[in-house]
Amino acid sequence: MTGPAILLLLAGLGAIAWVSARARAVRFQTAARASGRRDAVHSLPGFHGWYVALWAVAPAALFLAVWANVSPGLVTQSVLADPAARTLPTDAFARSAILGEARAIAQGDQAAAFNPASEPLVQPYREAGSHYGMAGAALALVLAFAGGAYAFTRIRADFRARTRVERLVMALLLLASLLAIVTTLGIVASLLWESFRFFSMVSPVDFLFGLKWSPQSAAMGYGNNDAFGAVPLFWGTIFIGAIIAMIVAIPLGLMSAIYLTQYASPTVRRWMKPMLEVLAGVPTVVYGYFAALTVAPALRDLAAAIGIGGASSESALAAGLVMGVMIIPFVSSMADDSIAAVPQSMRDGSLAMGATTSETIRRVLIPAALPGVVGGVLLAVSRAIGETMIVVMAAGLAANMTLNPFASVTTVTTQIVQLLTGDQEFDSAKTLAAFALGLVLFIVTLLLNIVALRVVKKYREAYE
Amino acid sequence: MSSAPLSAERLPTDWKSDAMQRRIARRYASERRFRAVGLLAVLLSAAFLAFLLVTMMGNGLRGFTRTEIAVKIDFPASPLKLDPAAITDRALAEAGLPTMTGAVAEKALGPDGDDLIAPTAWLAIRDAIKDDPTILRRTATIELPAATAIDLANKGKGTPEAEAAVERLKKAGVLSTGFNATFLSSSDGTDPTQVGIWGAFKGSLLTMLVTLLLSFPIGVATALYLEEYAPKAWWTDIIEVSINNLAAVPSIIFGLLGLSIFLNFLHLPRSAALVGGMTLALMTMPVIVIAGRNAIKAVPPSIRDAALGIGASPVQVVFQHVLPLALPGILTGTIIGMARALGETAPLLMIGMRAFIATPPGGVTDPATVLPVQIFLWSDEVSKGFVEKTSAAIIVLLVFLLAMNGLAIYLRNKFERRWS
Repeated sequence: MTGPAILLLLAGLGAIAWVSARARAVRFQTAARASGRRDAVHSLPGFHGWYVALWAVAPAALFLAVWANVSPGLVTQSVLADPAARTLPTDAFARSAILGEARAIAQGDQAAAFNPASEPLVQPYREAGSHYGMAGAALALVLAFAGGAYAFTRIRADFRARTRVERLVMALLLLASLLAIVTTLGIVASLLWESFRFFSMVSPVDFLFGLKWSPQSAAMGYGNNDAFGAVPLFWGTIFIGAIIAMIVAIPLGLMSAIYLTQYASPTVRRWMKPMLEVLAGVPTVVYGYFAALTVAPALRDLAAAIGIGGASSESALAAGLVMGVMIIPFVSSMADDSIAAVPQSMRDGSLAMGATTSETIRRVLIPAALPGVVGGVLLAVSRAIGETMIVVMAAGLAANMTLNPFASVTTVTTQIVQLLTGDQEFDSAKTLAAFALGLVLFIVTLLLNIVALRVVKKYREAYE
Repeated sequence: MSSAPLSAERLPTDWKSDAMQRRIARRYASERRFRAVGLLAVLLSAAFLAFLLVTMMGNGLRGFTRTEIAVKIDFPASPLKLDPAAITDRALAEAGLPTMTGAVAEKALGPDGDDLIAPTAWLAIRDAIKDDPTILRRTATIELPAATAIDLANKGKGTPEAEAAVERLKKAGVLSTGFNATFLSSSDGTDPTQVGIWGAFKGSLLTMLVTLLLSFPIGVATALYLEEYAPKAWWTDIIEVSINNLAAVPSIIFGLLGLSIFLNFLHLPRSAALVGGMTLALMTMPVIVIAGRNAIKAVPPSIRDAALGIGASPVQVVFQHVLPLALPGILTGTIIGMARALGETAPLLMIGMRAFIATPPGGVTDPATVLPVQIFLWSDEVSKGFVEKTSAAIIVLLVFLLAMNGLAIYLRNKFERRWS
């Protein structure tokens, strides 16, 4: 029996259980009402239905989930016990290749065998597969019937079906919310585990403070492990994300927020604010393509025209400029929020003293909103250094430690993409280095976020 | 009040004095400058967006058209061994159409004819025969897609030789520009004249489906639990902190998670919509949780009190009263989260979705690619013809995103209730 058919059958059984249990509960209810004891039935009929349906479906479904993981092993064992398997080579690798091919043919994923040795194993595979498939299906159905029958015998007029069903609902809600913790732990564990393997090959000190980054040459066997110095990557990331992008984003974002909240007419604001938000909604791959196709060549020509040497068609400036534009809406909406949180009385007081609007903004609003603005800038930096596609497409691959914005630099995220999209072997330092870089990126962005949120929160509390 | 008396020497300010007038003028000038700088900042941002969109449109709209060359084909005289009464896919595949097409083009357009039409032009002839087998008994004129060089020259960006060829073809009156239906219906390929976005589009839809099915129920359940039931305890604080942090983790980190857990640990299929959707769901879930909590918070407590007052259980209160009222807000947040997931590229590169996929995926476990990744892959192609295809794919992606965001705004405006 195939998987979907079993699941459909289970769903059908659940539906039957629901309908019959509900019908029975309705009979209790009418009987109780007829005898004048309206409060004799504890739960609504629907809850009785859900209770029985859950008992019919849940144990069987759990069993099937376990069975799906256990049965392939059992199938393989019974195939190995078959006389046809005696001719298999003893080499474990060749053996599993032949077995895998036989399984693929038996399941219809593959039309014919490449290796003739797998041909005789197809039939045993089919037989064992259908044998264990039938056994699993039969057990699941028995469980479904047993569970449903047990629950059905329990429902009575005073049975607290609602309490039981609701307890399960609460458990599911709790389980869902725990998934966030599981994901966080998964991130930390996978990054730590792979980084640990990396640091057993390359010393953390060399990685964090080394000045030479050339994982390709390390992978080829020469130069070995002193080629994993990540400082040039850190510099490139900071140069693009925290310096060039912020030089663009902070003034533009801040001034946009000030203009739109303090000066602009409601009509202008209604049109311009969503338009700024569109900037945040454009996919980064589009920005990256734009940076690589239009901005970078223009900047290279500009550099050549004004006589700056070392201009590359992939430049830190192109990536940083475009990234800065992408960040504008983040800065502007954070600045907007924190300016709006400054009490109106402070603004009114300043204006009443005869200050002009701009003087009020510069001397009163901005200083009062400063923590919020700084928090927003920190969040923007965190986003900029984690941004991938723009730098992958526009910043280049050369690990340079340069101050020349027209030169090509590389960043942490670019290198992660580069290291993990070639041929992957998960025991080479080259591949594992990506996880170490990911760990550094994760820690840095996490710290930035925590500090930023602290700053913003503290300042909000001061006025409320 | 015990303020210090005004000092005797200080006279009232003489607002009419020259010095004061100059000072006021200076302050007003500075005010105007400040205001102008603010306006300039807004306009610069707007100009950048406009520049980006205009560039993409300028390049991309050409990707939706293609240059076609009308070629007269005398089928009875051609060496095709095809019976008009029995046209099968196999017979068509074995009929030698590619060679015949080259010969026909050379006959009609001169010795360089085969270079003028696209390498895949024979597909157009095949489709014409499929549509109407009787065409084999007569002479017919079929519009064949032009080669990339001719296509570019016709659109104004060609090499001198190609320009000359286009001039010649124009004089012969066989050149025309048609809608490029191939672009919407085919998948990735090696020749820019035959590539299309349907495969990537379908991959995107499948990935989004997986993302939605996973992140929406889990996100809503988490939001309900945290907002309605969670006790104030250290472990609920941890849940809150981890959700807020997950919302700010760089997307590439989720790609690393998907690579090491889903692929290396659970051995799920590489490059499949299933794994892509699962990875993006982990990313989207915090967005839905945060939007959902705000929507649930906005439902006034009086609703809950009233329901509890007439005997509803806490679960009934939430599922029958709070959730229906909060749903529009949750949906708005979900659509915004999905739009973000639709535009995401980096985590999908990590789980191997950058492979060359020439057939649209049939299910969630088939190798697939998605629109942003397809854009990334085409942006790396050296062939000039891919520039307009990349921009055209970007237009499709942006139209899709704008439609999703428009839907979110519409839902918000239509269903948002102000409780007073």
